[in-house]
Amino acid sequence: MTNFTINGRAVTSEADGETPLLWVIRDDVGLTGTKFGCGIGMCGACTVHVGGRATRSCITPLAAVSGADITTIEGLDPHADHPVQRAWRELQVPQCGYCQSGQIMQTVALLKDFPNPTDADIDAVMTGSLCRCMTYVRIREAIKKAAAAMAAADHGAQA
Amino acid sequence: MLKRLLVVLGVVVVCAFAFGIYAWRPAIAPIQPAPASSFSAEQIARGAQLASAGYCETCHTAKGGEPYAGGYAMDTQFGTIYSTNITPDVDTGIGSWSEPAFRRAMHEGVARDGSHLFPAFPYDHFSKLSDDDVAALYAYFMTRKPVHAEAPRNTIPFPLNIRLLQAGWKLLFFHPGRYQPQAERSAQWNRGAYLAEGVSHCGACHTPRNALGAERHDQAYAGAAIDHWIAPPLNGSNPSPVAWDTDALVAYLSTGVTRYHGTVAGPMAAVTRGLSKLPADDVRAIATYFADLDGAATRSGDTPAILAKALQLSAIGSGPTADPAARLYATACASCHYNSGEQVQPLRPELSLTSAVHLDDPTNLIQVILFGIDAPDGAPGVVMPAFGRGFSDADVAQIAAYLRATRTDQAAWPDLEKKVAQVRATAQQQD
Amino acid sequence: MSRVRALAEAGHPLSRRRFLVTMAGSALAFGFPRLADAAMNPAMPGNTPMPATAPELSPDLWFSIDADGVIRVNIIRAEMGQHVGTALARILADELEADWSQVRIIHVDTDPKWGLMVTGGSWSVWQTFPVFSRAGAAGRIALIEAGAKLMGVAPAHCTARSGHVIAGGRSLSYGEIVRRGGALRSFSADELDKLPIKPVAERRLIGQPADALDIARKVDGTGLYGIDAKVPGMVYARPRLPPTRNGSKVVSVDDSAARKVKGYIRSLVIDDPSQTVPGWVLAIAQSYPAAMRAADLLKIEWQAGEAADLSEQQLQEHARGLVDRSDGGVRLDVGSDETASAFDAAASTLDQVYTTATVLHFQLEPLNALAFEKDGVMEVHTGNQWQSLVLPTLAKALGRPESAIVMRTYLLGGGFGRRLNGDYAVPAVLAAKALGKPVKLVLTREDDARFDSVRSPSVQRVRMAFDAKGEVQAMEHHACAGWPTKVMASPLLAKGLDGRYDPFAISGADHWYDVGRQLVRAIPNELANTGFRPGWLRSVGPGWTNWALESFMDEAALHLKQDPVAFRLKLLDGKGRNAGSAPNAVGGALRQAEVVRRAAQRAGWGSPLPKDTGLGIATSFGQERDMPTWGACVARVHVDRKSGAVTVEKLTVVVDAGTIVDPDGALAQTQGAVLWGLSMALHEGTAFANGLVRDVNLDTYTPLRIADVPVLDIHFVDSQQVPVGLGEPGTTIVAPAIGNAIFAAVGARLRDLPITSASVRNALSA
Repeated sequence: MTNFTINGRAVTSEADGETPLLWVIRDDVGLTGTKFGCGIGMCGACTVHVGGRATRSCITPLAAVSGADITTIEGLDPHADHPVQRAWRELQVPQCGYCQSGQIMQTVALLKDFPNPTDADIDAVMTGSLCRCMTYVRIREAIKKAAAAMAAADHGAQA
Repeated sequence: MLKRLLVVLGVVVVCAFAFGIYAWRPAIAPIQPAPASSFSAEQIARGAQLASAGYCETCHTAKGGEPYAGGYAMDTQFGTIYSTNITPDVDTGIGSWSEPAFRRAMHEGVARDGSHLFPAFPYDHFSKLSDDDVAALYAYFMTRKPVHAEAPRNTIPFPLNIRLLQAGWKLLFFHPGRYQPQAERSAQWNRGAYLAEGVSHCGACHTPRNALGAERHDQAYAGAAIDHWIAPPLNGSNPSPVAWDTDALVAYLSTGVTRYHGTVAGPMAAVTRGLSKLPADDVRAIATYFADLDGAATRSGDTPAILAKALQLSAIGSGPTADPAARLYATACASCHYNSGEQVQPLRPELSLTSAVHLDDPTNLIQVILFGIDAPDGAPGVVMPAFGRGFSDADVAQIAAYLRATRTDQAAWPDLEKKVAQVRATAQQQD
Repeated sequence: MSRVRALAEAGHPLSRRRFLVTMAGSALAFGFPRLADAAMNPAMPGNTPMPATAPELSPDLWFSIDADGVIRVNIIRAEMGQHVGTALARILADELEADWSQVRIIHVDTDPKWGLMVTGGSWSVWQTFPVFSRAGAAGRIALIEAGAKLMGVAPAHCTARSGHVIAGGRSLSYGEIVRRGGALRSFSADELDKLPIKPVAERRLIGQPADALDIARKVDGTGLYGIDAKVPGMVYARPRLPPTRNGSKVVSVDDSAARKVKGYIRSLVIDDPSQTVPGWVLAIAQSYPAAMRAADLLKIEWQAGEAADLSEQQLQEHARGLVDRSDGGVRLDVGSDETASAFDAAASTLDQVYTTATVLHFQLEPLNALAFEKDGVMEVHTGNQWQSLVLPTLAKALGRPESAIVMRTYLLGGGFGRRLNGDYAVPAVLAAKALGKPVKLVLTREDDARFDSVRSPSVQRVRMAFDAKGEVQAMEHHACAGWPTKVMASPLLAKGLDGRYDPFAISGADHWYDVGRQLVRAIPNELANTGFRPGWLRSVGPGWTNWALESFMDEAALHLKQDPVAFRLKLLDGKGRNAGSAPNAVGGALRQAEVVRRAAQRAGWGSPLPKDTGLGIATSFGQERDMPTWGACVARVHVDRKSGAVTVEKLTVVVDAGTIVDPDGALAQTQGAVLWGLSMALHEGTAFANGLVRDVNLDTYTPLRIADVPVLDIHFVDSQQVPVGLGEPGTTIVAPAIGNAIFAAVGARLRDLPITSASVRNALSA
């Protein structure tokens, strides 16, 4: 039995501790925005936040998240209006969209650590997230747009 | 000829008899468990702190079992030893142990019935504990919930399983006695040394052992293999590029996270959890002791230069590249471990600074890549996933070799792929 | 129109003729209210279509209007990232003079009334444009007539704009017309065909920027893909794949180890009358993780098919043998193909061989399908690009008519041609039938790679004959590869001079250069066709033919000591069969020359460059001479001579795709296509080993990542010509442009794809 919270909701899972967190989220909790891509932690489609850090849920055993706080794409913002999601819509980033939950979760984590990311920062942190439609040009633009929007909001809040 | 043989035999018999007398310990009479009311709340609380700082629960609790009810398997080079039940259960625990019996076990490694304990129980460290602290521990354990649980039988083969022979081991390697403060050192240093050498028994993991399993005092804190991990050196030979100073040690021991040394992993995670119950002053005292031991004061001036280099190294492999090893690193590792700017981030453990990449033995790095770090370990609430689920031994070896080559000046690790297979197989056996 | 001709001539159920008849016939249904046969609306949470506000009018098969004025446009194409519903709905809505904010898109199920259902080849916009334009126009005329009647004015005095019929100062919204019981008149097929399409100047939606209707659900996690489909009581299945794609038989299954997995139910040997998945064994479990683990623990003995030791080397050697022979294969009708005399008389000749390695689709959503029986119909819930192709196979597998099978469409987590081949639905329906309960089959990534219908490896030989003045006299292009169309959709084989050939394995070789006598020969690699199941992969044939053609054009220019751009421009003279024709190829080779000229100019062709840096050009007409999308790419690369590492610094791309319906979408598709080209040029490629592909996951298969993206300069030619496809043409110009740029940079000629550091080093030391 493993207890954790997901998008602020307390959850107890009876699944085997070795079960990848991804499938608990998708099939037991029922949040399917987190996707199965490679199963070995190298495409990023399954990225969620564990304790606020971007984490590949397909290779994270359920037992490892005992007591942890998990956030998925569905819990990022109550109105799906996180600055990163907004930038993604404004620049029409997704094509097939399958990787984009992971891209967005990874970006939110990126901007937490690197609020004003350089291209090198984006390369380093986002290279783990494969987009098979190759929407990379727009992902990069959207990251910068979201960073600017968040900086402006911060600035506004401080002023 | 016969005469000489008889003389030899005679000497052997006399010696054996003498050894028998030397080794023999009387049983201490069983008691009815003392009522909880016979211990003060303050004493129990102090005992709880000490029990936590000694991680008693870690070794005296079986996987999924009741706390302190024993049955935890310890793989030694001699066989598997199962820890004992130290709840106050009369039949299977230490309920019938008087305080003198408990103290004798802690200070001399002898059970209530007079039998010698194996040194898997670190009485060589607990011997340094003051009588007061032992009494507090006694108070704590005697007020736990009794659990009826028989430990499985050890698998130490004959003749090593003859407990009387343990007296010989003690004769050779055991130096009983309370901790003696060093007058030229500060009170804080002495306090740290008392805790580290005593209840927290740091050397039990970090000091290499000889062929008979005794700590080699000539190589105190030189690092050792333990529980399929490497306990890194804590002395001047520690390979971390940035010296472990007092503040770093305090952060590491109390939160599990440091800026320049990554997060705790493996068996060390339990240590951090255990020490977190100690008063902050005590943790700082331990940190002071080890910062002195590794000579941080003489090395800490190098930090800005090392940091600048680390930030350069962190960028390697995260840009466009055709090198398969670099691509593997960039796609699997860089998103969490890359650092840039002026400073590395504590929750982005910088691999060019972490000891796992710098140790002579790649075990720790392989362990972490294969099995990750759970939320309760390391940085609390944060996870490193288990790449071993999808990665082949060759993949893990490739990443380890790449990090070793690009993040350190040290020699390449030999036979990495074989080593990965070995670590993986050992862990699977444990499950 | 080779592909469409083949369909029509074959009289196959998939034929375009039937497709057109079905669509025209549906127009006769004008005026009948109808409930939407909705399957999926990618703009709604969970993709579930919102219920219509009754009453509802369906002026034709392609859209309906309800009392709130909401217009639902029925889309038969799969949504796999091209925002196809948005682009198509805008064509219809433009003619309908609809209020765009009221437009919804519905991806329909496989009811036969929809006709041929296929999404691929970048055909969607091109094929749908005339149909949806007329459907919209008919709707507009009918609404004006109905509105005029309700307002008591003559239709001639009314106009339609923004979802309203307007007469002088009065207006009625489309919704009100429906509410007030306005009846829409019907059009005959002939009338429909004669409806004029708006002049370009009056377009209000086409060519204007618009947010794609599917995007919001792709950034909040609520879009449903095939893998997200579920029904109560379903069990999970994961296959264990046999040692060969074809011909394997199960000898025995021992599940004693699998039985220890919590949630494991049983193993199931698939008995497949359609022979789509011979030798498959499924692990069935209560959860997918349990099915994954259990499948690994099944001990299965197979009798492997013939290709058990198939290797990339065997495939390439076999193909090499075939391209070197003068007989075999099928010659295309490209005019005068008697080239021997020209080669005999030539002052000089050039003869080179090019190869490409096996490529995986690696669409990010692993293959999956949910199947269950409901009211006597087998429901298949999955993402699929070519429902019409797999339905007969499902019918054969199940032994029931197609009318008792329905496929429901979900978002596709990438198509790229993999889901044109719906083979993955077969084991799901057979398991559902065998178990009598809903079965959700999901392949792991490794399963998906091993079961991929990969892009076949290819070997091509290209020759050219020149006279003493350096004029091109003749050219031959011999291309040998696996033929996906022969294996999976043989009615679509095209007719050549001496037999039928796979147009998707040779298109691109029948180029628009004026080369005198020309021979184009398509040769099937039967070792590939039988050893595995070759597939259609984004941009299909030109993915390899253009590599050979455009690399060779550079080599020919070098042979003649001419500039590669000037050489191409000279041959793209737009004469004879390259003059082009209405409606799709107006302008012919001259339009291709124009994109070459523009790309060269934008990229600074001819200006000095740093050391070991070079520019290379390549051009393409897309896939088919019948529907050309003109494209040119200039790659700027730097080569590290020591390591052989190639850094692509910039790709300059110019595309002429006629009218651009959705400019931002066109840019997105072209960005993706160009980067796919780059990925396949430098980062992908695998090899067959012991019957299956060697690389099955991202630890060793390494597609392009964000850090690998160079500067992209993409430019569209402003055109009012017929809109043609965009999803693929950008792909095929990149690899040869890079290869040519490497030669320009360091003088190393690469003739094998992918280009690796090792191959560059080898070429440098050669």
